[in-house]
Amino acid sequence: MASYSSEEEEEEELDYTNDPVWADVTPLPQDDGHNPLAQIAYSPEYTIAMSYLRAIMAANDHSPRVLNLTSDIIGMNAAHYTVWGYRFKTLMSLDRSQTLEDEKIGWSWRQELEWVQSIAKRYEKNYQIWHHRQLIIDHLDDPTGERAVTGEMFALDSKNYHVWTYRQWLVQRFQLFDEEELAATASLLEEDVRNNSAWNHRYFIVLGRLGEAGPEEGVVERESELAKEAISKAPQNPSAWNYLKAVLRKGGIELATLKPFCESFAPILSPDEIKSSHALDILSEIYDEAGDSVKAEKALELLASKFDPVRKNYWRYRRRLLGSKPTPASDTPTIQATA
Amino acid sequence: MATAVTFTNKPEELFVDKHVKYIQSLDTRKDELEYWLTEHLRLNGVYWGLTALHLLGRPDALPRDETIKFVQSCQHENGGFGAHPSHDAHLLYTLSAIQILAMIDALDAVDTEACAAYVAGLQKPSGVFAGDEWGEEDTRFVYTALQTLKILNKLDRVDVEKAVDFVLRCQNYDGGFGVVPGAESHSGQIFTCVGVLSMTNNLDRMTPASRDQLAGWLAQRQLPNGGLNGRPEKLEDVCYSWWVLSSLAMLGKLHWIDQNKLVGWILSCQDEVRGGLADRKGDAVDVFHTVFGLAGLSLVGWGGLKEVDPIYCMPVETTKRLFGPK
Repeated sequence: MASYSSEEEEEEELDYTNDPVWADVTPLPQDDGHNPLAQIAYSPEYTIAMSYLRAIMAANDHSPRVLNLTSDIIGMNAAHYTVWGYRFKTLMSLDRSQTLEDEKIGWSWRQELEWVQSIAKRYEKNYQIWHHRQLIIDHLDDPTGERAVTGEMFALDSKNYHVWTYRQWLVQRFQLFDEEELAATASLLEEDVRNNSAWNHRYFIVLGRLGEAGPEEGVVERESELAKEAISKAPQNPSAWNYLKAVLRKGGIELATLKPFCESFAPILSPDEIKSSHALDILSEIYDEAGDSVKAEKALELLASKFDPVRKNYWRYRRRLLGSKPTPASDTPTIQATA
Repeated sequence: MATAVTFTNKPEELFVDKHVKYIQSLDTRKDELEYWLTEHLRLNGVYWGLTALHLLGRPDALPRDETIKFVQSCQHENGGFGAHPSHDAHLLYTLSAIQILAMIDALDAVDTEACAAYVAGLQKPSGVFAGDEWGEEDTRFVYTALQTLKILNKLDRVDVEKAVDFVLRCQNYDGGFGVVPGAESHSGQIFTCVGVLSMTNNLDRMTPASRDQLAGWLAQRQLPNGGLNGRPEKLEDVCYSWWVLSSLAMLGKLHWIDQNKLVGWILSCQDEVRGGLADRKGDAVDVFHTVFGLAGLSLVGWGGLKEVDPIYCMPVETTKRLFGPK
């Protein structure tokens, strides 16, 4: 028998009614119970495939043909939880009976993973695909090649939330908190310094799993330099500023040490030269902590009136808080990387 | 086939009757490709449409008996609900089923005991909930599980404290929340996390400073055109008018964004001929963006819309009947 649903084959329509593979199956049509709220006029291909699936599921059939049928349906609708679930159940059943890697079947876990990736590229915003992949990799207990697979997806969309969630699972599951991971985030930030997903992932691998123990020597310096360089390239990028503040907090370093750096982007006495509202924001905290309420107020007033008027109520709220420690945004829970 | 959308030039008017007709028409569009492709969302779709109609002041615009029959037909032996009679049970559809019945005051039409048992069975030792038997874990499922049980008055079937602890572990260094601990902050996930903390009276588990940081992050989602995005550097989208605004409302900081600008932007995403709202001007309208656009307008007090509850995304009339006045 030919291989089950390679990419080329997907374009071919499956002929359920004439192919002898399906001769023993009586398709089960949808029963809507004469309910006008739910009646569905089907597209012929989808209707037929779904009625075969219902029959197959009713018979608890986990034979190899299920792979063909479910890939046909997923190709038309990749967000159908039931179909993915039944496909995984079938793969596991074939695996248990040791027929999955059998030549006669012409399908293997590796082929499955390649097929999943081809679907992922077609349907970038999808939860089920990545969970399916996670179940398989967890079962195989082998992350080989998986970082490259997510890398391919990041080339299409470097902020794909589903792919990042999968990548974090991979790192956690196989303890990949390593140089390769560090280099991968550095390279994505090199491409796009505003990639908040990459900043978040960097925090996850560098600082997120430390718990009570502090960072190793040199890490805080290295990471704050990285953030500062990024800020110099794009002073209005909130991701790099948030990262910088988080790194200092984790390292137990006072915000006040950022004063000269922030003032270089936001000299409050020369408003025309101000290049970053985020620098103004941090300066208001630094001035406030130092008891310089005049400058702190000035920074917040500039934000409310000139640099971020859409949020003027927020900045006025911040002005009312001046002089009352602890300042906002200086106290967040530390994150734990374990679920 | 998709129909051309006529975006309004009057972003100061809400086309109530058009939106009611649009939602009613959804069930008669069975010759369109999109209808059967969204079968896996049917129960969610009924919830979205029904909520929109309630907010528009037209709660009877969908046939009540048929709605109940459809919801009943989606319940499985295991107590959970599928998106459609032939689909497996999942928490996402289970909550929609219970919300639909709550809004039309028909909770006794299904086996709520079995439903609660199904939900309770999906809690994991870490406190999180899986979405279904396949085990995908996500703060969305903590929200859907707890809201379902809260409506059924059966929260005691699960370990609420552990669920809350899990949610708190998902808070990030920027103040936001993600899908699991360590995952990037995302407005949709923030809604589910703040919702869990609110419905269990645990908002004070975050320090005041941490709540301010979170609300500040949410306020940063407003773009110069007035629309809201879900994450930094992403495009604005009508559905975030709900995820961001409801979270700000739960935190008591709705006024931290420019509401007038947002209202004008949401209204500009209406189809003034056929009704419905799109994710943004230029795209096709759908029921998902229609309800969340309307719910956002309701939260900022748009005249003529019924008040929506920011925690539960149902009319306040419903949540008052269920939980008593706040």
